[in-house]
Amino acid sequence: MGHGKSPYLRYADPAPFPILNKHSHYDHLFEEMHELEEKGEILVYKITEENRPVEVYTRTGRIKTVPTAKLWHHKSCGQCGNIPGYPASIFWFMNKFGFDYLNEPHQTSCTAWNYHGSGTSNPVALAAVWLRNMHQAWKTGYYPLIHCGTSFGSYKETREQLIFNKELRDAVKPILKKLGRLTEDGRIVIPQEVVHYSEWVHAVRHEIADLYEKEGKPKGIDVSNVRVAIHNACHTWKMMADDYPYDPEVYGGQRPAASTAVVKNLGAQVVDYSTWYDCCGFGFRHILTEREFTRSFALQRKLKVIAEEIQADLIVTHDTGCTTTFEKNQWIGKAHGMYNPVAVMSDVMFSALACGAHPFKIVQLYWNCSNYEPLLEKMGITNWKELRKEWEDTVKHIAELEKEGKYDELMEFFKEYDLYEPYSKTHDGFKRNRSATADMPLFKS
Amino acid sequence: MEGHPYGYNIPISEKTKSVPWEEKVRVIEEVKSDFRYEEFLFGCLNCGVCTASCPSNRFFDYSPREIVQRFLEEDIEVLYDMMHEYIWACSQCFTCWIRCPFVNNPGGLVIIMREVAVRNAFEATKDLLKPYGRVLLKVMTTGNQLSADMLQPDFFPDWGPKMLDNMENVRAKRMAIPFDVGKSVKTAWEVSLETAIEMYHIWRETGIFEMLEKLDPNLYNVIMDIVEENEERWEELMEEEEEE
Repeated sequence: MGHGKSPYLRYADPAPFPILNKHSHYDHLFEEMHELEEKGEILVYKITEENRPVEVYTRTGRIKTVPTAKLWHHKSCGQCGNIPGYPASIFWFMNKFGFDYLNEPHQTSCTAWNYHGSGTSNPVALAAVWLRNMHQAWKTGYYPLIHCGTSFGSYKETREQLIFNKELRDAVKPILKKLGRLTEDGRIVIPQEVVHYSEWVHAVRHEIADLYEKEGKPKGIDVSNVRVAIHNACHTWKMMADDYPYDPEVYGGQRPAASTAVVKNLGAQVVDYSTWYDCCGFGFRHILTEREFTRSFALQRKLKVIAEEIQADLIVTHDTGCTTTFEKNQWIGKAHGMYNPVAVMSDVMFSALACGAHPFKIVQLYWNCSNYEPLLEKMGITNWKELRKEWEDTVKHIAELEKEGKYDELMEFFKEYDLYEPYSKTHDGFKRNRSATADMPLFKS
Repeated sequence: MEGHPYGYNIPISEKTKSVPWEEKVRVIEEVKSDFRYEEFLFGCLNCGVCTASCPSNRFFDYSPREIVQRFLEEDIEVLYDMMHEYIWACSQCFTCWIRCPFVNNPGGLVIIMREVAVRNAFEATKDLLKPYGRVLLKVMTTGNQLSADMLQPDFFPDWGPKMLDNMENVRAKRMAIPFDVGKSVKTAWEVSLETAIEMYHIWRETGIFEMLEKLDPNLYNVIMDIVEENEERWEELMEEEEEE
């Protein structure tokens, strides 16, 4: 059902679940966004049929359009730097489903982790970084998919600030103009929807469940006995709270639906616990420089509660900081008799494991400090030791070739390695001498 | 009794007391003049839901309700004092925001206060952010905030023995990540030079470099060395391409 003048603002009629907040400021946001578009001040980067859109509901009953194909991957620095199996699992699914996408080096992170941690930025800089990245996506014709929860929250907030504040638009436009990051007729590019990867997982949850049936189960994988605690990331659902999926089948539409829905669709057991709404303790600055706070909060408010109340096998997350906080802060609990080992990984990593992805080559569990081995056994991935050996041999082989300076052989090896399954596509024309950070002889281009 | 009669129980520091009143008013006015201020502060029932659900409140002497109340009461002395250490306890989770019946955003007020504290280069802010220098160096020069080379086990003994295994042969492990542009140790992903150059331009135009220079001159110098080196490399590349 249409609502007001804006084509970007639609509500389900009747409401899909009881709506507690019927007067969302998002109504004004989408109306204003449309007006600015009509005035020619902004270009709204639209989601089209090419993006294979799927409709979901937000907590106000608004219909949010989630693109599922032809996506520009706005990667997460925390995920790529610390949990590489996270983006690798996303790319793995994209390949499995045959979806077109672009993974290219012409992007920065949102820089918002730094902002929330240290205050060393400002709204104009954050807006300029966001709009530069969005312009790059628009230029390529691929729709931006935001991997990081903080980027997603920050970008939603920045969009609202830009739409409602002419001063901010006026401040950021000259900067973008110098960078060549306005449209030819001088408009800034704002995407129709800001979309998080967990929304993508939510939108394709039925395809994921089908893949589990077709490829996971025949390998002997069974998740039906896996007890899962869900942890929703604060910056996805508490920050700009009216813009994240809710669903009648997940707690009657009264809690965030992403992650819970896909785990339920796979047939695992989602088990409720009393501190589900609490944050993880990451704290941005705290995980690095106030670690006693981070570990105390994670241990006492989450890990201990989850162990005592529901004896979960796994905590499923959907953001970078939460995953890191929970998997890195378990071992230290031994110092206080508070060691409650539990596997920790994101929804997409667990889904990939269920669908038969390699636990080390794709899901990259080597990086994970949590006690994930019992989970693999329980899921029926009983050959995980062989798979880990296979992975370790690969790493050893690469290390030896590099040590011996056999770069041609390495390139050959990677050609084959990457052809084993084409994990990603790279924007053409990128050469290593154009890297700001080149430190490897092996960057493919 | 020292402290505030309505609940702010931290004695006002001698340093805050010694600062001229006009200076304190100026700093708080800088916070209030931010365009977000009026979008983050409405009314307050003093219900305390924000503080009851605040993670930082459980382990620090910190209360989002106090932030809101002090602004509504225009309590310059306490607000100025809060801007030195108190505000840095906030976890930026925004649980306070989603739970407030008035839709106040105490976490948002805190981020404005932090920004003003950094801009004014308060001594306490400089000290607090010293251990954060590695992140600042990385993000300002590469546009990535985290990378594999930052997670050295020596820095994180509390993360347990698996960290040692994880970091062994880290170069080879990073190469074996099966997606392109992820095969890097120094950054989360390979960032193109032209992208970094654009980002440096954003930092210059928005006063971020200037802010850093006041906050930590040594770090600023290290950052600028890398920035200038990359800018020179970019210019050379452009010249080479023109010649070709």
